[in-house]
Formats: sequence, structure tokens, C-alpha cells
Amino acid sequence: MLDCGMHMGYNDDRRFPDFSYITQNGRLTDFLDCVIISHFHLDHCGALPYFSEMVGYDGPIYMTHPTKAICPILLEDYRKITVDKKGETNFFTSQMIKDCMKKVVAVHLHQTVQVDEELEIKAYYAGHVLGAAMFQIKVGCESVVYTGDYNMTPDRHLGAAWLDKCRPDLLITESTYATTIRDSKRCRERDFLKKVHETVERGGKVLIPVFALGRAQELCILLETFWERMNLKAPIYFSTGLTEKANHYYKLFITWTNQKIRKTFVQRNMFEFKHIKAFDRAFADNPGPMVVFATPGMLHAGQSLQIFRKWAGNEKNMVIMPGYCVQGTVGHKILSGQRKLEMEGRQILEVKMQVEYMSFSAHADAKGIMQLIRQAEPRNVLLVHGEAKKMEFLKQKIEQEFHVSCFMPANGETTTILTNPCIPVDISLGLLKRETAIGAAPDAKRPRLMHGTLLMKDNSFRLVSPEQALKELGLAEHQLRFTCRVHIQDPRKEHETVLRVYNHLKGVLKDYSVQHLPDGSITVESILIQATAHSEDQGTKVLLVSWTYQDEELGSYLTSLLKKGLPQSTP
Amino acid sequence: MEAADEWLLQSLRLYRDLHTFELQAPTRLIEWARGDRVCVAGYGQSDGNEILQLIPPPTLLTKETQGLCPERDFKVECGGFSERPVYSLKYVPDTSLLVTSGPPDSSLQVWQVSAEDSDVIKSVSTIATENGTGQSWAKIDTISARAPWVLHGSRLDRVQITEVESRKNVYTAGIQAPQGSEELSSLAFLDCNLLLLCSATGRLCLADTRQPQGLTEAVPAPSVPSSEHWCMGTRHAAQGSQPSSQPVARLSSRGLLALTDLRKTSEFLAVAKARVPSPGSGAEFLCVSWAPALEGYLAVSGFDGTVHVYDTQSWDSSGREAEPIFVHKGHTFGGAGGSRDPPLVTVHTWHLQKPRTLLSAASDGSLHVWDWVQPCGKCG
Repeated sequence: MLDCGMHMGYNDDRRFPDFSYITQNGRLTDFLDCVIISHFHLDHCGALPYFSEMVGYDGPIYMTHPTKAICPILLEDYRKITVDKKGETNFFTSQMIKDCMKKVVAVHLHQTVQVDEELEIKAYYAGHVLGAAMFQIKVGCESVVYTGDYNMTPDRHLGAAWLDKCRPDLLITESTYATTIRDSKRCRERDFLKKVHETVERGGKVLIPVFALGRAQELCILLETFWERMNLKAPIYFSTGLTEKANHYYKLFITWTNQKIRKTFVQRNMFEFKHIKAFDRAFADNPGPMVVFATPGMLHAGQSLQIFRKWAGNEKNMVIMPGYCVQGTVGHKILSGQRKLEMEGRQILEVKMQVEYMSFSAHADAKGIMQLIRQAEPRNVLLVHGEAKKMEFLKQKIEQEFHVSCFMPANGETTTILTNPCIPVDISLGLLKRETAIGAAPDAKRPRLMHGTLLMKDNSFRLVSPEQALKELGLAEHQLRFTCRVHIQDPRKEHETVLRVYNHLKGVLKDYSVQHLPDGSITVESILIQATAHSEDQGTKVLLVSWTYQDEELGSYLTSLLKKGLPQSTP
Repeated sequence: MEAADEWLLQSLRLYRDLHTFELQAPTRLIEWARGDRVCVAGYGQSDGNEILQLIPPPTLLTKETQGLCPERDFKVECGGFSERPVYSLKYVPDTSLLVTSGPPDSSLQVWQVSAEDSDVIKSVSTIATENGTGQSWAKIDTISARAPWVLHGSRLDRVQITEVESRKNVYTAGIQAPQGSEELSSLAFLDCNLLLLCSATGRLCLADTRQPQGLTEAVPAPSVPSSEHWCMGTRHAAQGSQPSSQPVARLSSRGLLALTDLRKTSEFLAVAKARVPSPGSGAEFLCVSWAPALEGYLAVSGFDGTVHVYDTQSWDSSGREAEPIFVHKGHTFGGAGGSRDPPLVTVHTWHLQKPRTLLSAASDGSLHVWDWVQPCGKCG
């Protein structure tokens, strides 16, 4: 089962996947060999504790190390918002999250993991967020690659997704953003800087709620460069909780970030900036412009919410939401346009500050999807996440450019894909040597037909010579030999007839080995021709043409040839 | 990277809004459809060129920039595959059809856009034309007055109006030799009866579809060396005003801009010289267009990686070099490796409502949308 996400648009049971699609009878643990989680976004892992602890699954759950570290934090946050703030009941508990994570097996990039003796999986770097991976799933020589969410252009803190030419039978890729042409990162950053600059210029305060592990580092580096370049004086603050958490995770997972970050991190502490200082809650009351990065990212609790309450009433201020907000959070409400919020104790908060949303999230667009297909060379492509009507063009594009079949199944639909499994067969050295010795030298461009016997024994396939096969099987070898009589009118002596036959055959069969042996017989390849006199008629000679079963074709040909008689002029 | 970063920082002051996109293949056309859709098409390959109808980001669809506009991306609404390079594309008003043209000949391709049941733009028919020797691709314009019509031709000796759905010829006109053999660089419906044609030598010709006499030369080619290539830009008249009251701009490959009032064709309204690099880079992508919402403003591109905006209201007939009000340099800071040829702007167009917003595309596949800030000291 690939991923186990929450549908963020629903508040009732529809937010969980319908696991009866997998099997209606029998336990999920028996039916599924494993579950793979691609990254920590809630629409990919949000239903995992529900699935494993409330529906019931005890098998292995695979994910990368950063995902394993970060998932439980997000799940707990999400649980708190949904249960404590909204009072929902049919939801997983903190204990369930812990029990679920006990079933998780963490994997490294490019590490082949044997799930059982047939199934193996391997994770590839996907970019997108820290720890996101694409997974290759292999049984024998058939394989599927599932991309999860990925990104083909590197950004300031993560690299780009990468797949080797693994040629899977099927590539399952997201197509949500397949039809978008994305505005460049630089223009998004420009927009961000413009908004921050304008607010600070008019004396306002900018609040940026962030996750510890999202774009915070990127935005900090961006602001630092801008402040330096423009010689700006307004203070920028970073809440300390953020620093510690982020440092901790980046230290743990340094190999998951891109080269630039790694260099910066090695040279100095990630958060040693000239213009960015640690925040103290008292600073929120200071007059004048400032920029503050604070957690949590959805404004649902803690420091960012505290600061928001202080600054919301002033229209000179601005809050920039850097990502998606779950329903029920203050972040979600203000992004939906609400300007009067009910806080604890029935207090109404009027939001006069400017609310902006900046999407920096990295997804693959049409160009990126084509790039990935070009890299991996799958034989079939399956698009998920889009609307069928709106994917016809992309489907045709993929089919035309790569000459592969492209599928777009609806929810609940089963797609059948035919594969051409390769069965590797070992050929015995003796057979190979023998077959190559016959006829012309082997040519890499022309296929050659070889004869051998396929032995299937102990889960292995071998191609051996018939003799060896018979020997191994303990069977005796029999030879079939055919002899045909051809009558030739020739009054001369036998040995003269033989000579005539020999010269005739030598002239006609130029590509074959025709020999006249001392004992008076002729061989054409391995076919034997002997001449005897006819018992009753001296003018007739009888040619005995004899061949083994393997030489049937040549033997028949020779016989017909000789039946036509010898040319008169042959000496 | 340094120069690009520098430009981006400057852009904070120079533009109110700036978007840069990378198309998978470069386009040499940007056409508005239905007032809010943008169409681009590939011209590079001999086949497998895509026609894309795009939904612009919400920031572009509204007249005023709202506070909360998270989406900054174009969405491909539907697409089609063309077997030939697409050099020109026009939507047929009041229908779900569009017409394209491109080498190797002057025939036209008709397509159906039906976004309801599928997102594929389907090829519907071909409007064939007699192929004279050396005919290049046809220039086209469309109108839906008495019926959906397409005006097309590649040389002055034969322009036609064909009914798009029935493919019936409705009108033919042409100028006899020797001018007849001149290549057409642009043509346009001024209204449902009046046609305006511009030849590559800069000659302007008018025709009235109600009169069978054919084309009449309205303005002769400017007396300059014939190696220059010219194109024209016309402005759509506001409701109720005469189409011929709008000045016609002609641009030459040397950077000369000649403005003409069709009611007084014996003299130039104004002549100026744009500041362009020389030697020029050829005439392939010359483009001049009037701003729909700013009186007297026009934009010019095709000489290098920039787009110039000029205010023609202060121009006279001296032909002096004019100072651009604004120069968009974004395309010169292409993202891809710097060792290749610098990109050339292939086409530009104005936003239909937002006065200072333009869209421009370049030979490296970039597509920019920019809303420039009026420099201080100038009103309007």
C-alpha cells in the first residue's frame, strides 16, 4: 500500500481512505506485505495511526529516517488540533501514534530492503521536503516506481529528485501540478521580499509563522542577503524554539539537504546571521518595524499565535502564511477570509493586519514529469490525482513522446498492465562453444538460432546440450538415421560413378563441405553417400544416402538433387 | 548569477508585479482568447509542436491586484499537437475554433477547442491555398461579422477571405506585379469591411470588401534601402469610433518607427528611431503593438532580449532617436547556462485591461508577465 493520507477537505469519516477497497474479507495484515510512506505531509501519512491502530494492521511500515522522526510530531499536532480544539471523537489517540510508529522500519536512500524473499524495495531522493522519497518496488525482474510528491528543480535547501535508468514496468506519478506552468522561484522570492519591504518601510511588523523544518531556513537566508544589500535596519527575529529544533533535525539529516546548506552548516551554525537575532517575547511590544519568524506554522497555538493576537489589530502589520493550514486553525480561518475570530473566553479578535499567503512548496510540473519519465524510462505510466477530463492532453503527450501506455484510473478502478517479464536463463559453456563453432562467426547484429534443451530444476533455468540433458536426467540417447536409395543410370564402374557424383555435388554445393573419402564414400557435411551396383541391372547404380535426424533438411535436399540425375557432361 | 540577482533586486523598484515562466518549447505568438485566456504554440520542431491554451494566474485576471493571491502559476487548460511549426494563431470570435498557419506552405489549419468534455485541441480541417512558387507561410486575422471569416495571404498579389466553417472563398484581392510579388508581413481587419495590409517593404494597402476593385495602395513604402524589413501594428478602435482614426505604426528592422493616420496618408503622423543594437539580428521576430489602455503608448521588440515601451505623444516627424519610457530586460538574464546565444524576444502583447501590464516571450522558452512602474516625472 502506497501512502496513507488524510483528505484535508473533509471533517467526517470521508477524511480517511476507504480501506475496504483493498479487501472486503480477511485481515489487512494478511493481505498486505508492507506499507510505504513517501513523506511527512499529512495528505500522505495523516491516516496512518487510524489505519494501523483503529482499522488494524500489524505488518511493516517503511519510510525514510527523517520521515520517521518528523511524522509523529506532525501527527500529534494534528491530533491536538482536531481533538482538543475541535472536540472530535472518532480520531486516533497519542498512544495510537506511538504504537503505530513502533511498526515503522526506517530505510536509507538507495538501500535495497528485502521485505520478504520475493519483494524488495529501494528509496530514491525526491526533493520536495526533508526526507521525501520515491520508492522502487521489485519482485523478480518486474518493478514499479511510485514517486510520491517530488520536485525536479533544486532549491535553496533541498536538491532535485533523481532516479537512475531503472526501466520499471510501471511509473506511478502525481499529476496534480502536471498542468501548471510555475512562476519561477526568483519571482516568488521577489514577491515575498517586496511585501516584507513595503510593510517595514511604512513602519509595520511582519509575522511569518513557520514549521521548524520547512522553508524557514531558506527565507532567512533570503532576508539576510536582502537586508545586507539594501542596508536595512529593521530588526529580524527568529524564535529560539525554532532554532534548536531545526538545528537538531538538520544535524541528524544533513545528507538530505543540498550541497549549499551542507557547506553552510559545516562552516557555521545554521542560524548565525548578522541581521537575524533570537526573539524574546517582550520584543513583540517594541514599537517600530520588525520581522519575526515564529512557530507553529498554522497559528494554532504557542508563540506565533501570541504574537498574532498582539499585532492583528493594526492594518500597517502583515502576516505571511508560508504553507497549507489545517481546518480549525487560525491560519486556515484567516486564509479563508475571516476577519473576526473568536478566541478563548469568547473574546472577538478583529483582524486588520494584511494577510498574505506565499506558496513556496515544490512540486513537479509538466516539464518535471516529462524529465522524470525520460530519466527512468518506464514501460508504462500511471497518473494519479488529476481529473480524467483534464488529463487527456498530458496522456497523449506522454504517449507520443515516449511511446509508452499512459493510464489515468479513477478512484476504485482497477487497471491491468501487461508486462513482458524477462526470464534469465544460464547457458552451459559447452553448448555455447559448440553452437558458435558451427557456421559463420557470431554477429552482434544478427540473431542466431541455437538448439539446446531447457532444464528447469530447483528454481533455476539452464540451457544445456541435449546430450548433457539426457545424462542429467539419466536417459539413454538414441540416434535416428535415415537411408534413402537413389537409382542412377550409369553403366560405368562404381568408383567412377562415385567420382561423377562427387564432382557434381562439389560444383553445386559450394557452401558445404563435400569430401571424397578413401573408402569410396562421399560426405556432404555429416551426410554419407555410398554407391553400389544394382543387383540385377549393371547399368544402374544405387546411391545410398544416409543422414541423422538433425540433418533432415539437407538430406532431403540432397536426395531430390540426386534424383534429378547427373549432368551428362560431368566426367 | 550576480547580474541576475542584481536585476531582481532592481526589479523591486521597477515593477509592480513580475512573473517569469519557462515554457517547454519557445513560442513566437501570444494570443488572447475570450478575454481571459492566453494561447502559445511551438515553432521549433518539424513536428510535435504543442498548442497550449493557458489560464493566467489570478493576479492577472483581476484589474486591481488583490491582497491575497496565492496562485502565481499558469494552468494549461487544453492543448493540441501540430504537425507543422505554428507561426501564427488566431481565435475565431464567437466560435470554439482557432486557425493556425506556418511553414512549409501558405495553407491554414483549423482547430476545435472544446474544454467541456476533453482538454485536447483537435485538428478539424485544412484550408488549402494555391501554392505559387516560393510562397511562404500565411499571415492571418479573423473576424466574426457576417460569418466567421479568416483573412489570409502570404504575398500582396493574393489575399483571401475564407469562411472558416465551410472553407468557401468569400473575397479575393491582390496587387499586380511588380509590387504583387512583395511578401506580406502583417494584415488586419480594421472592421468587417476594411482590410489593411503591410508588405515587407513597408507598403500599406487598403481594401474594402464591398468593392471588387481589389487593393489600393494607401501609403507607399518609406524611401529607405530596400533591405529593411517592415511590419505593422494596429490598434483596435473603441466602440463607435472610426477604425481608420487609429494610427498605424510601422516598424523596420533598423528600428525606424513610422506612424500614419489612414485619413491623411500623404504625410507621416510621426517618425522616430528606436534605440536598437546594430547590426540587427534580422527581421524574424519584429513586433510592434499599441497599448489598448494607454493613449499613445506602444511597445517594440525583436531586436534583442529586451522589450521597449515608448510614449509617442511627444514625437514629431524628424525621425530622431526616441527615448523609451521603459525597457524590460528580464529575458537577457535567462536562467539557463550563459554560454549559449543570448535569447531573442520573439513576441510581446499587452494585457487587455491592466494598462501597464505586458506579456513577452523569448527564443529560450521564457514567458514573462510584467507590470512596470511609471518613472517619476511623467504623468499618465
